[in-house]
Order: sequence, then C-alpha cells, then structure tokens
Amino acid sequence: MAIVIYIALQLVVMILLAPLVNGIIKKVKALTQKRRGAPVLQMYFDLYKLLNKSSVVSQVTSWIFIATPYIIVSSALTAALLVPVTTFASPIAFPFDIIMLVYVLALGRFFMGLAALDAGGTFGGMGSSREAMISSLIEPSLLVSIFTIGLASQSTSINDIMLAMQSVSLPLLRPAFTLTFFALFIILIAETSRIPVDDPSTHLELTMVHEAMVLEYSGRQLALMELGAAIKQLVLITLIINVFLPHDQFIAYAGIGGLMLSLLVYLIKVIGFSVLIAVFEASTVKFRFFSIPNLAALSFILAFLGFLQYFVLGR
Amino acid sequence: MENYFDVLSALILFSSFVLVANKRIISYIRTFQLQACLIALTAGIMGMNSFLKEGKIDILVVCAIILILKVYYIPRLLRKTYAGVEYKVEKDFFLNIPILIFICCFLVLFAYFSVPTIGGTMAGNVNIQVVNSFSLVLIGFFFMISRKKAIGQIVGFLVIENGIFITAMFSTHGMPFIVDVGVFIDLITAVLIMGIMVTRINDQFETIDINQLKNLRG
Amino acid sequence: MTFLTAEFLLSTSIILYMIAALAALVLLKNQKLCALLSSLICIVASLFGLAAAFKQLLFENTTMALRLWQSNIPFLDVILSMDALSAFFVLCLSILTLCVSIYSIGYMKHYYGIRNVGLFYFLYAGFIVSMFLVFTAGNAVIFFVVWEIMAVVSYFLVSFESDEPETQRAGILYIVMTHIGTAFLLIAFMLMFRYTGSFDFSISSSALPENIRDIMFVLFLVGFGTKAGIIPFHIWLPYAHPAAPSNISALMSGIMIKTAIYGLLRFVFIYLGVETTWWGIAILVIGMVSAVLGVAYAYIEQNIKRMLAYSSIENMGIIFIGIGVSFMAFSEGLELVGALALTAALLHTVNHTLFKGSLFLCAGSVHYAVHSKNMEDMGGLIKRMPITALFFLGGALSVSAMVPFNGFISEWLTYQSIFAGIIPGQAAENILLVFAVAALALSGALAAACFIKLFGISFLGLARSEQAASANEVPLSMSLGSGILTALCLLSGIFPLYALGLINRVVLQLANRPILDQLQGNIFFLYSPLEIHGNAISPQIIVLTLVIIAAGALFIERIIFGKEKRREFGTWDCGYEALNPRMQYSAAAFSKPIRVVFKMMFRSSRDLKIKGPLTYHPDAMEYSVTTESLFEKYVYDPVSRMVTAFSRKAKFMIQTGSVHTYLLYIFITTLILMFYNRVIG
Repeated sequence: MAIVIYIALQLVVMILLAPLVNGIIKKVKALTQKRRGAPVLQMYFDLYKLLNKSSVVSQVTSWIFIATPYIIVSSALTAALLVPVTTFASPIAFPFDIIMLVYVLALGRFFMGLAALDAGGTFGGMGSSREAMISSLIEPSLLVSIFTIGLASQSTSINDIMLAMQSVSLPLLRPAFTLTFFALFIILIAETSRIPVDDPSTHLELTMVHEAMVLEYSGRQLALMELGAAIKQLVLITLIINVFLPHDQFIAYAGIGGLMLSLLVYLIKVIGFSVLIAVFEASTVKFRFFSIPNLAALSFILAFLGFLQYFVLGR
Repeated sequence: MENYFDVLSALILFSSFVLVANKRIISYIRTFQLQACLIALTAGIMGMNSFLKEGKIDILVVCAIILILKVYYIPRLLRKTYAGVEYKVEKDFFLNIPILIFICCFLVLFAYFSVPTIGGTMAGNVNIQVVNSFSLVLIGFFFMISRKKAIGQIVGFLVIENGIFITAMFSTHGMPFIVDVGVFIDLITAVLIMGIMVTRINDQFETIDINQLKNLRG
Repeated sequence: MTFLTAEFLLSTSIILYMIAALAALVLLKNQKLCALLSSLICIVASLFGLAAAFKQLLFENTTMALRLWQSNIPFLDVILSMDALSAFFVLCLSILTLCVSIYSIGYMKHYYGIRNVGLFYFLYAGFIVSMFLVFTAGNAVIFFVVWEIMAVVSYFLVSFESDEPETQRAGILYIVMTHIGTAFLLIAFMLMFRYTGSFDFSISSSALPENIRDIMFVLFLVGFGTKAGIIPFHIWLPYAHPAAPSNISALMSGIMIKTAIYGLLRFVFIYLGVETTWWGIAILVIGMVSAVLGVAYAYIEQNIKRMLAYSSIENMGIIFIGIGVSFMAFSEGLELVGALALTAALLHTVNHTLFKGSLFLCAGSVHYAVHSKNMEDMGGLIKRMPITALFFLGGALSVSAMVPFNGFISEWLTYQSIFAGIIPGQAAENILLVFAVAALALSGALAAACFIKLFGISFLGLARSEQAASANEVPLSMSLGSGILTALCLLSGIFPLYALGLINRVVLQLANRPILDQLQGNIFFLYSPLEIHGNAISPQIIVLTLVIIAAGALFIERIIFGKEKRREFGTWDCGYEALNPRMQYSAAAFSKPIRVVFKMMFRSSRDLKIKGPLTYHPDAMEYSVTTESLFEKYVYDPVSRMVTAFSRKAKFMIQTGSVHTYLLYIFITTLILMFYNRVIG
C-alpha cells in the first residue's frame, strides 16, 4: 500500500511541478530582459486551454501521430517514477536503473522523431533531423557521466546512487562530481531544447528544433506533448539536484513530517535550479547549429575528465 | 582543504578546455581572465592557510600580484593590442574544435600516465592537482600550435606560464617569494614585448596571421 | 519418447534440409509446387532443428557426437558434435530458418517465370545445411570444408539476380573477400596441425607455443572478422547483403555472419584459451570502431537494405565489444565479469538474429510491394501496408534498443558488464572501457536516429513515387514470417530471463560459471527484475507502467475534458496550399547534419545540376550527394591496383602459356622438395 501511495505522490508532484519550472524560467528570463513577463502559472492556463480545445489533425498522418503524445507522456512519467524525489520514502522493490531511465526517455524521443515526419511537412523533418543529431552527439557524455557517478557509488540504481551521495559531504566540491555536474548541465540544456542549443521561444524555421517537431500538433495532443516535455525537463533537473545536492541527510526525523519537509526542500532546490537555468539561458546567445558539436565535445570532455579525476583520486 | 584545491585544479583545467573551444579572440582573453581568477583564488586560499598557520604573507602578496597582473593588466593590454590590429577573419585555427578538444583530452591522458614517472613530484601515488596543472602546460603549448593569429600565441604562452605556476604551487605549496616575483617580471616583459611585436607585425604586413610567415622563406 | 534423442532430431533435421534441396531440383519444372514443397520441408526441418537445440540446451549435459562416417584415410572422419555452444547457434539458425522459410513461400512468387526458382531452393536449402554443419562440425577439416561450401553457396545466392551489373560486382567482391578470410583460417588450421598433430579442436591446445598462439589469434581474428564484416574487413557486406534476395539477406545478416562469432568462441575462446589481455583489447577496439563507423555509414545511406547491412556491422561491433570485455576480464581472472560480458554478447547475437531477420524480411516486403530499395521512392507506406509497417516498427524499436524490446536488454547487459569491469587499479584498461561506453552510447543513439530516418522516410508522410502510392500489402505468409520474429523480439524483451536461461548453459560450458544465479530474479509474471549485484531492471514493470500511464492519460482526459473534437485538415503549408510529396524532407536531407558533423569521415561532396536558364526559376534542379568510403579509397583500392598490376606482369613473365615452362616449374618444384626432404630428414 505504501508503494501505491508513494507512486501516486510522486506522479502528482511531478505533474504539478513540471509546468511551474517552465513558468519560473520564463519569468526570470523576462525579468533579466526588463520585461514583466507572463505569470509564473501561465503554462497551467495554457495546458488547460489546450485541453479544452478541439484539435486539427493532418490528413496525411497515421496512427503514430495520434499515439505519440500518449507515448511521450507515458515515457516521461515512467522516467519520473524512476527518479526518487526524496529518498525518504524509498520504495522497496522497484528497479530504478539509471541506464533504464535514459532508454525510457529515448523511447519518447524516438516516437517524437517519427511523429514529426508523419505529417509529411518540411518543418517536421527539419526538427526531427536536427534533434537526431543533437541527441546522438550528447549521448556519449550522458552515459559517461552516469558511469562516473555510478562507479563512485558502486551501483547504477538511482536510489543507491542518491543514498551513496548523501554520505559524501558536499559532492560538488569533489573534482569528479564538479566536472560531471557541468557535463550533465550541458546535457540538460541540450535535452530540454534551451538556449544555446535550441530556442524554446522561437518559431523561425531556420532555428527551431523542438518546436518544429511539435508544429503539426494542436489542441489536446499539443497539451500532452508540452506536458511531456516539461516533465522530462523536471526529471532531468531532479536527477541532477538530487544526485549532486542530496538533502535527505539534513532532515532528522522520518515519517510524514520528514517526507513533507523533504518535499519542501526539494521544491526549493527545483526553484533555485530553475533560476540558475534561466540565468544561464539569459546570459548566452543561441549557437549556430553546427557549433553544437563543439558544445557536445566540451560536455563529453567534462564527463571524461570527471571520470579520469575519479580514477586519479578514487573518490 | 585538499578538496578545494582538487576542485580548483579541475576547474582550471576545464577553463583551459573552454579556451581551446573558444572561437573568438576576445573570448580567449575573457577565458584567460577567468582562469587567472581561479588561480588567484587558489593562491588566496593557500595564502590564507599559510598566513593563519605560519603567519607568512608572501603567498597572499603573490595572489595580489596575480590579481593585478593577470586578471587586470595583461588582459587589458591584450585587448588594447587586439583593438589596435585590424583584421576581420574569425576562423583562427587549423583543425575544427571538437578535434582540438579531443587532442587536448589525449594530452591530459598523457600527463596522467607520464607525470608519476617524473621524480620528486609526488611520493608514489598520482597527485591529481599536479596532473591537472601539468596538463595545463601541455594544453597551453598545443593552443599556441593550433592558433594562427599572434594573439593566440600570447594567450597560449600565458596559459603555459599559468600551468607552470600552479604546478609549482601545488607541488610545493608556496615557492620562495623571490622566484615568484622574478617569474612575474619575466612575464610582464614578455607580454609587453610580444604586444609591441604584434602591433609592429601588423603595421608591417597588415595581418597577424603568423601562418603567413611561411612566405618569408627565400 | 526415448527415440527422440538430440542425435535423432539433429540428423532428421539435416536430412530433411537435404531432401528439400533435392526436391527442389526434382521439381525444377513446376515452380509453384517446388517453392511450396521445399519451403514446407524446410519449415519441418527447422522445427526438428529447434527441438534438437532445445533438448541439448536444456536437458543434456554431455556433448553429443555423431560419427557419420569413419574412414581409414587419416583426418577424414565425418564427425558432427553438438555441445551447448553449437546448440545455441543451431537454435538461432532454426528460429530464423523457420521464419524465413514461411516468408519465402510468398516472397518467391515474384520470381516465378523470371528466375529459376527450383535452383534457388536447392541453393537455399544447401546454404542452410552448410551453416548447420558449420555449427556442428566435429573437427577442423569438416569445419573448413563446410565453411567453404557455405561461402560458395552464398555467393551463388548473392548473385541470384545476376543480370544486374551491381549484383555481379557485389558477388565478386563477396567471393574475393570471403576467400581472403578463408585463407587466413587455412593458415591457422595448418599451424594447429603442425604443432598438435591433429585437426581435432576438442583436445587441449597446450602443445602450442606462446607466440604461435598469438599468431593464430590474429589469423582467426582476421579470418572470422572478414566473415563477420567488422571494420576494416567489412567492404563486401554493404554490397552483398542488398544484392541478395531479401530472404537470403535475412539469413546472411541474421545468422551467416554469426558463424564468425561461433568460430571465434570455438577456436579462440575454447580451443586457444584466453590468457593474454591484448587479445581482448584488440577485439574491443575493433568492436568499438565497427559499432560507431558502421552506424555512421548506415545513417547516411538511402538504400534500405544497404542501411540494414551497415547496421549489421554496427551490431557485430556491439557483440565484439561484449566479447572483447569478456576476453579482457577472463585474462585477468575476473570470471564473473567475463561471464557477464559473454552473456551480453551471446544475448545480443540471438537478438540481432531476431530483429535483423525481421527487418530484412520487412525490407523485402517493401521491395516486393514498391519495387525499389531507395528510400527516396517511398513514403506513406504505413497506410498502404499497415501490417508490414507495424512489424518493421517493432524491429526498428528493437534494433534501436528501445525499452520493452530485446535490443535494450542486451545493451543493458553490455553496459553492466563494462560497469563491473571498471575496477580501480588498472588505469589504462579503465580508460579504454570508458571509451567503449562512449562508443556504445554514440552508436546506440545514432542507431535510433538511423531507424527514425528509415521508418519515418519510407513509411510515414506522403508517397514519393507512383509505386509507393499504389503499393499493396504483401501476402499473409510474408507477414507471418516477419511477424513471428518481431513478436519474439518483444517477448524476449519483456521476459529476458527465459532467453537468458537458454544462454546460461552456454556460458556454463565456456566459463565454468553459471550466470543465471547472478542474474537474480524469479520468473513471475509481474516482477522479475534482472539483477546484477544490486543493479536491477524489470522490463515487465516498465511495460506495465508505460501502458498504465498511457491508458490512464487517455482515460483521465476523456473523463475530465470529454470526447475530443478532432478536425482533419491538410498539413501546414505556410498558406501556399501546394504541398506536394517532393517538399518533404528527403532521406539525404535528414542525414545532412550528421554528414556535416562527421565530414572528416564521410568526405561528402555535393553536385547540383541546374537545367534550363540560370535564373530564379530553372526548369529542374538535381541535387546529389556522394560520400567516399575511406577504407575503400585508402586500403582496398591501392591493394587491388597492386594485385592487378602484379597479375598483369605475371601473365607475361610466369604464366607464359608454354607447356614446357610449366613442366619446368613442376620439375624444379619436385627437385626442391626432394632437396628439402634430404636437408630436413
């Protein structure tokens, strides 16, 4: 029973929190540009509006186009279940493998790439092809980073990694983890289609990647696609903050109170990290598309150096 | 305490990778400034440590010199030189950036495998700080090789100097003060001379692409 | 049921295949009957083979030996033997043969009256039986003979559509390359006989000196590597596989190249034994290079079957990574890691057989319906051929290692074995292993991208040609053939423990170490995690979660927001209302980003031809991209030029055409041999 409650709680937290992250990032970006910006809760309104609207579907499309939003939401939420928000309520027998997480997210990406090609338009193909390149190039650094943190905690189970990281005092002050953190940060930026890799607010055909892929969607399907993307972003954020800034060891008491406190700390961390992303996004410009390999190479080198430092130091 | 030095050495190494990944001359200078800040921070921590423990202030003085010289003065000088020369070509390197980065990665590996065999740097086990800072020397060298424009050479030279400086600092935790000061005087002279040379070369040939020096062969 | 021994099942299966071959020759005139009968006999034979393999893998502990013919001539005993390793490969072969034979009933229809179908079936059955014998050969002589038969028969099958110049070229390239490989094997077997005095590979190899072992390893690696199509010995593969009929491509890619894995395990792992670390490192590096380059070449390909062929190179690379890690681990005494990596490699072997078989069969279906192998002629096939599309999608998901499919399980195991192989205190190997992780990740991501391209361009969107617009779904037998394979991909992905149960005995035989008790987990329906020291995945739970959440999302949105109002309209065309199929992203355009990023490797050059006036509105434009193959340009072309030059010279200087010279050669050779005998004796 505890497991069911835990799973329900995790799902609710993830679904409710995901749009907020986007809202915060947009708001902070607007503030840095001396604009007032949309309300923080804007994405919730958008989703509600989209879910109530009727949708337009191209005649060219097949069942893949309709199925994809559900697959994306489902892969993102499954991934969300694999990342413990708080290790307090550690569910007993649920296999949280971090490599599994990567491949569950990849399932969503695969179908997104297919759906983009389904309508037979030009934009979809453009987005799909670019996304394929970006995701291929960052994959090595993602796996190498995962291996480094996995090896440091002698496990590829996310739960074990997070527990092990709690016993490390201030992980970000260890070179291996510092470098891996930066590598994962670049990966996060690339995976969530943010500046400098992609611009989430553009609809210019020359530059858009993610937006080009969801261009054909409207109404309810678009809402699901957006929600799926937001959840995926929150999953990656959660992974990074809970691995590199573990917080459960600071909370002394267990039980419901501890859980609530832990959730609160988690919330604060998510908000803080969102502000960090927003500041980073606001302070860079979008790269030329063929400069992205440079970023990917940098990320890979960070991950690799992190691994090397781990081996040199053994800690 | 060692933890901070580990992280700082890794970050200094990373800043040199960022340097290699940079495309524009103005951003070389900025990255160099960042690297100098990190080095100053390292020296500062080390200096505070030695001040509190032994009451010596010479590392703190070195830190102050770094701040003035490398964080403020030399970048300013470089910017001035850059503003003085006229060229508008952006592509400044022979190979493309990912390949440059991968070569630098192998340089780090090379340092990792070769430094332990150099006598006297450490007793037995591999010291991460020395490996990182020694890699910095190699990357600085490689940076000089990979860039065409003379300002790239100066930055590369400065990176080598940074590398030597922190290698010395990490392996001895504070060299004799006079050595440090001597090195800095050397450095400032070298940069001044090179800066003047760059301007002169530019005046003479209307470019500072030193790859074109090949044309001087008889 | 005592008569149902493995020996009986095995020999029945072989005899049935031979009957199928003969029946095809006898019924040469009646093509329809011939195809049907031979296919049916092959299906039955494969069922017997399947039974034999299962019996050997699950119930027998001893090696089965079948002494077919004992002669007085030394080394010419015909012995078939089947241990767990052989049985495992016979299992792969039989599953694939079953499906391909079912498929062939429908597929061969479009050859009726055009080609000699009877001859095809003769070769087809002969090809299967030769592979069967390769896996069960009891000594090196038999092995070598059936290996050669396999090569020659498959050459005839590759060049079955022999009137196309491309096919002829592919056939010749294939036969030349495969014979070069065979030459290396021959030398290795000679060395083996020279030092042990026997062609029997089941005896100990302790008589071999250290350096001879190393030499033999290299010879085996090159010899088998050529058959496996790993880089740099791969150049025949991307030509031969597309040229062959699709059922043969499926067999070649699905199982024939696996004979190399079998050979490597049989002769290097079991016979020579793994003692030196560099063997593992060599295999690992070759595997990494093959995995990344194979998929990179696949990505830029426009020909469906050639793309699949390159993807086979990638998958062989992944298998080689597994084998390399296991060799490294065994040589260092890390038996558990070695056994795990071996399990991963073997699982990927059977997985690749399943999904690549399915993909090639589906590609054959597409070719059958559209009459083209070029992706740029396809599009929108998912509407015309929904069943084929579904199976193809299953195969594509599997090869891209997507979650509920079997490709993921074997990649995960490979990652886990590398993870377990990285231990402190061996810096150089760890760095190599982490590069292997990067290579595996890059190839995995590129493979996914590759199959997004393949499926997206050929099955989705608008039809790019007349044939694609009017394509029809293929006959039931063809769908059934590929469907079984795709279903197996899904099932063995969701219930990996059953598949691993079959491999367990093989690993036990090779490594003296059962792996299944390391892979903990119980075979309940719901919760059977695959666990390796604490690292667990449970495909069932994931599948269940995915399905429940997707259904839940559907259900909840229905409940809260009511039934969706959906309107159908055209694709967004920027308001011009003139969207046509040619405005879609093409396959060449899709792969452009990767082509640009890896331009050092591809050396692509483009060619833009403009017809008509050079204004903003020319009559027609033609854009084509060509890429260079580095290996062909810098390795094979110079070598072949050299050989050609030498042959031309030899024609005038050595092979003069004069009988007297030839007699002189023989005479001198005899004299030299006598002299040699005198000196040695």
